[in-house]
Amino acid sequence: MTPSTRADAAKRLPAPILQVKDLQTQFLTHDGIVKAVDGVTFDLYPGESLGIVGESGSGKSMTALSLLRLVPDPGKIVGGKVLFRDQDLMQISDEEIRDIRGRDIAMIFQDPQSSLNPVLQTGFQIAEAMLAHKKATKQQARQRTVELLKRVRIPAAESRVKDYPHQLSGGMRQRAMIAMGLANAPSILIADEPTTALDVTVQAQILELLADLNQELGTAIMMITHNMGVVAGLCTRVLVMYAGQIVEQGPVDQIFENPQHPYTWSLLKSIPRVDALRHERLRSIEGLAPDLLRPPKGCRFHPRCPFRVEKCLTDLPPLTEVKPDQLAACWVTMDRAKKEMGADQLLDIRPGAASGLEPGKIIP
Amino acid sequence: MFTRGTLIYIGQRLVLIVLAVLGVSSLVFLGIHRLPGDALFSEHLHGDQYQQTLHHYGLDRPLWVQYVNFLAGMIHGDLGESLVNRGVPITPIVLREMSVSAEIGLVALIFTVGIGMTFGVVAAIRQNTWMDYVLSTTSVIGYSMPNFVIATFLILVFGIWLDNFTQGTFYFQIGWPGRYGSIGAIWLPAFALGFPYASIVARLTRASMLEVIRQDYIRTARAKGLREAVIMVRHGLRNALIPVITILGPLVIGIITGGVVIENIFGIPGLGKEFANSILNRDYNIVIGVFTGYAALVGLANLGVDLLYVVIDPRIRY
Amino acid sequence: MAATAAAVVTRPIAPEQASLWSDAWRRLRRNRLALAGVIYLTLVVIVALVSAVWTPYSTFQVGVGIPYAAPNAHHLLGVDGLGRDTLSRLMAGAQISLIVGIGTQILVLAVGVPIGLAAGYFRGAFDQVVTFLINLFYGIPDLLVALILVFLLGPSLTNIIIAIAVTRWMDMARLVRGQTLSLREREFIEAARAAGAKPAKILFGHILPNALGPIIVQATFGVPAAILFEAFLSFLGLGVPPPTPTWGGMAAEGIVTIRISPAMVIAPSIALSLTLMAFNFLGDGLRDALDPRGRR
Ligand SMILES: Nc1ncnc2c1ncn2[C@@H]1O[C@H](COP(=O)(O)OP(=O)(O)O)[C@@H](O)[C@H]1O
Ligand code: SF4
Ligand SMILES: [Mg+2]
Repeated sequence: MTPSTRADAAKRLPAPILQVKDLQTQFLTHDGIVKAVDGVTFDLYPGESLGIVGESGSGKSMTALSLLRLVPDPGKIVGGKVLFRDQDLMQISDEEIRDIRGRDIAMIFQDPQSSLNPVLQTGFQIAEAMLAHKKATKQQARQRTVELLKRVRIPAAESRVKDYPHQLSGGMRQRAMIAMGLANAPSILIADEPTTALDVTVQAQILELLADLNQELGTAIMMITHNMGVVAGLCTRVLVMYAGQIVEQGPVDQIFENPQHPYTWSLLKSIPRVDALRHERLRSIEGLAPDLLRPPKGCRFHPRCPFRVEKCLTDLPPLTEVKPDQLAACWVTMDRAKKEMGADQLLDIRPGAASGLEPGKIIP
Repeated sequence: MFTRGTLIYIGQRLVLIVLAVLGVSSLVFLGIHRLPGDALFSEHLHGDQYQQTLHHYGLDRPLWVQYVNFLAGMIHGDLGESLVNRGVPITPIVLREMSVSAEIGLVALIFTVGIGMTFGVVAAIRQNTWMDYVLSTTSVIGYSMPNFVIATFLILVFGIWLDNFTQGTFYFQIGWPGRYGSIGAIWLPAFALGFPYASIVARLTRASMLEVIRQDYIRTARAKGLREAVIMVRHGLRNALIPVITILGPLVIGIITGGVVIENIFGIPGLGKEFANSILNRDYNIVIGVFTGYAALVGLANLGVDLLYVVIDPRIRY
Repeated sequence: MAATAAAVVTRPIAPEQASLWSDAWRRLRRNRLALAGVIYLTLVVIVALVSAVWTPYSTFQVGVGIPYAAPNAHHLLGVDGLGRDTLSRLMAGAQISLIVGIGTQILVLAVGVPIGLAAGYFRGAFDQVVTFLINLFYGIPDLLVALILVFLLGPSLTNIIIAIAVTRWMDMARLVRGQTLSLREREFIEAARAAGAKPAKILFGHILPNALGPIIVQATFGVPAAILFEAFLSFLGLGVPPPTPTWGGMAAEGIVTIRISPAMVIAPSIALSLTLMAFNFLGDGLRDALDPRGRR
């Protein structure tokens, strides 16, 4: 896809297939409440490919798991709506959500090694997804399993159905997981870092496969990753998460070209580029991801933000439209940072370096 | 499932079992024949008759000749003759009794594993609820009760009180008709035999189930939209079983040896009853024969357990 | 350098060990089941001691009551088939159970600890032989071997203790071997070795004290196992010979006449089960107390 068609695709959006509104998921721990997902709102459109990026611990997985009510103990979904086909997935019965899992919304996971059951045949684990929803007879399921394995380009699919997961390579296991996800031709496929555990070459193959399937089958894909490169290769729209919240969202081209949130900006800066100067390449975000048990006051990114101003320390910026289709949660935004603080020429990206609000100048 | 390698492995194990059986019976043979007094202690024979009998059993020859003859017999599957009942060959007795002991042991094992795993799974799924505590405490009580104590209470409750209470319309049969008993007669002894070990299985199943339900593949199974019961049984239990099989070996030995007591209480004509009888009667040849039977039974049971691994865990191949 | 090493040598117990015992005691006291076990066992010990000098009736004398009499005011637990008082015999039976249980563990400790220490510390061929033996003994049916041994040695209290110890020594040996294997790699042992301490000193002065917790737990679980064995042997008529009262033997006599006089079998069964349970609860409590990270 060329950049312009992709941008067009992002604009010509039909009615959303999934609407997430103010989702909140928390962990009740001994030390207090961890707000893993804190008021996440977004839409997913039919057939689109939406990226969710953010560093590890920012709440991407918990957001995805919340959609299917699969949050592990001691996690609880404490608020929000997830509208899918006129029903709120958070309100329907256990039996109803069970029937949606794997049938309408499928999910695949990061580590195909541990995500497949070691004692069951791979083919059976795929067929099982169909049988769970009475989508096929045993005979049909077996047949379709072979087709699916071919579809995800597993060589010698007929003989591989009977293989146990340990007999497959890492890449093949992830292909099998994808086949499992596609078994019931779901309208949404959530992929939680599906390539993170794989070799670089295999990663590329899996991404290509997902892109093709997205095109051919029209399945909407929610691609969770901490890698901006993956987003660039696969997605039309992207959500950027930080500390359990969405800090920026919009069309991929637009955001890659013109990120408005300093966090997105620094994520993009840290992608290694062949043409970049050495010091430029080393320039990535400083500091640690915030402790979600005691999130910073004001903007959650302020302890690491080079452009922070006084207001950032006290007030949480709302997610607002900063450009057509592009939302960002920042009091300053990169347009202003570039214009007023010389962000483009910035070499020192320590907190407050560009705005002059360095650590020593903050009155606690 | 059973590849060529597995068959070769089974063959090797069978050879080892034969060697172990030979070794064990040799030890018992030599041990017994070093006892003071002689093997005909219980016969109260005198003079000529005594000499004749000694000769009949070959007991008048040097020990090493006796031992060579014994080994030669063993290799042909001949365990000799009873010292008490002259002329009665031991091999058929031992084989028959082995099958009876295996029958009761197998039913006991089904109780052990069935009850143990059910309790273990329930305790794991209901972790830290009153149910979990009750089951955990019961399991300590379970393995603190010798099987004859359990047998005692079973007989009291089901054999006597229930009988009296319902005036004979409803009771459990105590005793053992025929060689292999009856369906009605097997429950109480098998339960008494298996229950103490059920609590051990329950503890282990609980621990391993708790481990398993945190695994990623359980999350995958949920994401597929499987029913919770299917997830627990098909995806959880099967994996939780793997560590449980590890203790099945010692457990089977426990059940087989526990049978000595239970068979005596319920009058079951198995190896255990014969063992106790032959020791008390000082029928040395039968003692050796029965011990040989036990060695074979234990060897085969252990082989069975090892093969179970192959069935349960596809990653294991011999 | 030499000075530091010497300083370490004079401190045989690992630093974290000191507070471990007081912590363990605190944790054990909080475990109600273990505490109940301790109280019950104290009672059993007292009863056993008292029965050596006094019982309501003679333990051996037949005809002190009507045979098979049910529990009554004179004979609180009834009378057995020979007219002996069940309560008196039950009290005396505690002696045998305790002697066998504790005697066996002393033997098991005496054999298993040195073997385990040596195998774990010196490794090599000796360790291989020991490991082979341990696995061999785990593979054989313990009760049957004990039966045969008692049969070969002749039934007496000493022989029973020996027979049970022979079938259970490897529990302790395996545990101590494992502990030694891991402890020998710790710095304070290395330091002692570097300072030239002799193996015997390292083993008994340094490794053993640090392995004491698990050893105590194992020994606590070993006692009921031995008592259970003795009960089995007595039940099968191969225990301490009559007329000495044993719980297993009393149960064996009683189960035959269970229809006429259930108390004869119920009394020893309950005494035995409670004793085993008390030891197991105590063992569980000790394990949780001494090894907070332990399984369970
Ligand atoms: N079991 C748990 N207990 C407490 N907090 C948890 C648990 N699992 C996740 N969290 C919290 O949820 C946050 C988000 O986790 P996650 O969604 O897995 O992040 P991501 O997928 O973006 O790497 C983590 O930063 C952590 O604080
Ligand atoms: S400029 Fe302020 S609001 Fe914007 S990201 Fe930085 S700290 Fe947050
Ligand atoms: Mg994640």
